[in-house]
Amino acid sequence: MDAVLVQAIINGLLLGGVYAAYSAGFSLIFGVMGVVNLAHGELIMLGAFTSYWLFQFFNLDPYFSAPFAMVFLFSFGYLVQRFILNRVMGLPHIMSYILTFGLHLMVANIAIKIWTHDFRSITTSYSGANAAILGLNIPYARLITFVVALFVTWGLWFFLMKTETGRAIRATAQDKEVARLMGVDIRNIYAITFGLGAAITGLSGAVISPFVIISPEMGLEYTIIAFCVVVLGGMGYIPGALVGGLTLGVAQSLAATYLNAGVSVAITFIILFMMLVIRPTGILGKGNIA
Amino acid sequence: MMFRNFKLVLAAMFVISLIAGSAIAEQPKPWKIGVAVSLTGVFGKDGSLVKDAYTLWEETVNSRGGINGIPVSVTFYDDKSDPATTAKLTEQLIVSDKVDLLLGGFGSSQLFAASPVAEKYQYPLISGGASSNKLFERGFKYYFSTLGKATEEVRGCVDIFTAVDPKPKTAAIVGADILFTSLACEGFKKYCEKNGIEVVHYELFPMALQDYNSLLMKVKNKNPDILLVGSHLLVAMKTIKAMKEIDFSPKAVAFSYGPTVPKFVEDLKGDAEYVIAASEWTPNMPYEGKMFGKASEFNQLYQKRFNRNPDYVEAAAAGGAVAQQMVLEELGLKPPLTKEDRVKIMEALHKDKFQTFYGKIEFGPDGANEAHPPVAVQIQSGKLENVFPLEFAEAKILYPFKPWKQR
Repeated sequence: MDAVLVQAIINGLLLGGVYAAYSAGFSLIFGVMGVVNLAHGELIMLGAFTSYWLFQFFNLDPYFSAPFAMVFLFSFGYLVQRFILNRVMGLPHIMSYILTFGLHLMVANIAIKIWTHDFRSITTSYSGANAAILGLNIPYARLITFVVALFVTWGLWFFLMKTETGRAIRATAQDKEVARLMGVDIRNIYAITFGLGAAITGLSGAVISPFVIISPEMGLEYTIIAFCVVVLGGMGYIPGALVGGLTLGVAQSLAATYLNAGVSVAITFIILFMMLVIRPTGILGKGNIA
Repeated sequence: MMFRNFKLVLAAMFVISLIAGSAIAEQPKPWKIGVAVSLTGVFGKDGSLVKDAYTLWEETVNSRGGINGIPVSVTFYDDKSDPATTAKLTEQLIVSDKVDLLLGGFGSSQLFAASPVAEKYQYPLISGGASSNKLFERGFKYYFSTLGKATEEVRGCVDIFTAVDPKPKTAAIVGADILFTSLACEGFKKYCEKNGIEVVHYELFPMALQDYNSLLMKVKNKNPDILLVGSHLLVAMKTIKAMKEIDFSPKAVAFSYGPTVPKFVEDLKGDAEYVIAASEWTPNMPYEGKMFGKASEFNQLYQKRFNRNPDYVEAAAAGGAVAQQMVLEELGLKPPLTKEDRVKIMEALHKDKFQTFYGKIEFGPDGANEAHPPVAVQIQSGKLENVFPLEFAEAKILYPFKPWKQR
């Protein structure tokens, strides 16, 4: 096969891994609570900034800062759901859109006040390191992110299927009234779910921090991609984030290679539009469209 | 007892205020100069640099007895990076605050909105932070810029390659598809053609592009000698990250804007080495003028006041303020200015040649500074070194750039 094509597909898969890593949390939160979290990108931003500051002040490697980002984002997510989003859970969806959009503006603007508009970057000794195998280029940091994406998807699936809390989350997602009758504290389950979604999103923010540019305003573009990825893979279907991410990554990479970079951005929205019209349940048809 | 004391205090305060009032009344009315500039929003950072430059100018002028013996007072309004607000605030400065003169803020879209207002009320408007060619193509008489046009600003970044051996034969040009950066790409192309460098790839991409790897991989496959990028800071940083990840090592890489911002070197560290960037001014240039003395002395003043070196945009802004000041001194004007005075100022700005710390300023008929040679700087050992024009260069260009894997 043509080396350019193989390289384009590899680039696409690695890019897709990045997309999948930061979209899984979005899918979880939608699947359980029906909340389209418009502040999703801000969770990534906070995860990336956690890494940035730990790197700046303690010279901590971005990969070692990932657990801190998870703990911080879990607490943040838990509190946001418990004290803010839980207030609108029974109300029409539009209320949660408005609330999370407000959250997006609030978090981004507070971050600007504290951290200014500056663009930041983490440069470690191994930044940009890459392997050249058979003339093909594979950047290590992206490969690690790809593995993290697989692990997050599997871990989340394991957690939902095999643990008591996971069962309670699934029960709440399926029928919250019955779950309540069975003794599930659904307000707490909601908070745990949002916390969990935020934690894995924070984790992804930390693992992508070595190769992205970090700024308080970075969030929105990530929210948009996460939305596309999740629609592509099926809203609320956790492995769908992986399927959607990889599909979008490869599509964009091929478009950038054989057409041009402008088309590679446009294709995201063309795919989003077509999926919503033709197959709103996602590529695998397992998404939740209620 | 308490009550009597209170009355006494009141009386004393009244007397003091009378004295103070008369003292103020005897002071000459200062020059009122208005600036609408972005202090928050996307251009908040850049705009605050421009504000620092004008503040330093104001303080320096006042410490030296003002302009024609009259102190200067600069008013800043924040346009929140919104061009419509810039226009509104400019009108407010002219109509309700009745300022004597204006100075320009930051950003082509901001100045594009402010300049028609200035033109309408016949206020000269000099900016040091906007260079899109469109600004100069409207036949305005009152708009001036101490920067060159965007397409001309990048000339140094291409001309420098005539001085290296062996000369690069091919170039790839990529850039963000917004006004300033796309013009920079046009400039790159124009000067590549002039210098006989073949452009093997030319592509503009949307600002929203997240994946630079695929785009640059395509460029890498065409194996150009040099890479020229129409950029802002964010684009420049993303490009360097991606180039290293995909192991793309052309003989040189040059950016239209970004690397001169200190954050670029601070955060990218060693990866920023060898990077070339367009500039209009560096403190080592042999320029000298009346107000700030030598370029290096302006730099020292900046160090003392703000504890950092100025960016070239700040020098350009202060240079514009100095040019306007020189006209006021030449014409011997005093505030408040009349409309006729401002017409005279506009004519003098077009006619005069200004010798300043920022270099020669000569405004062409379209208001762009025509006397200013474009500069190229290169990051060498973490410092911005002036490498072009050759007669002012403080270091020799390092070429070719060391491949990523050998660093």
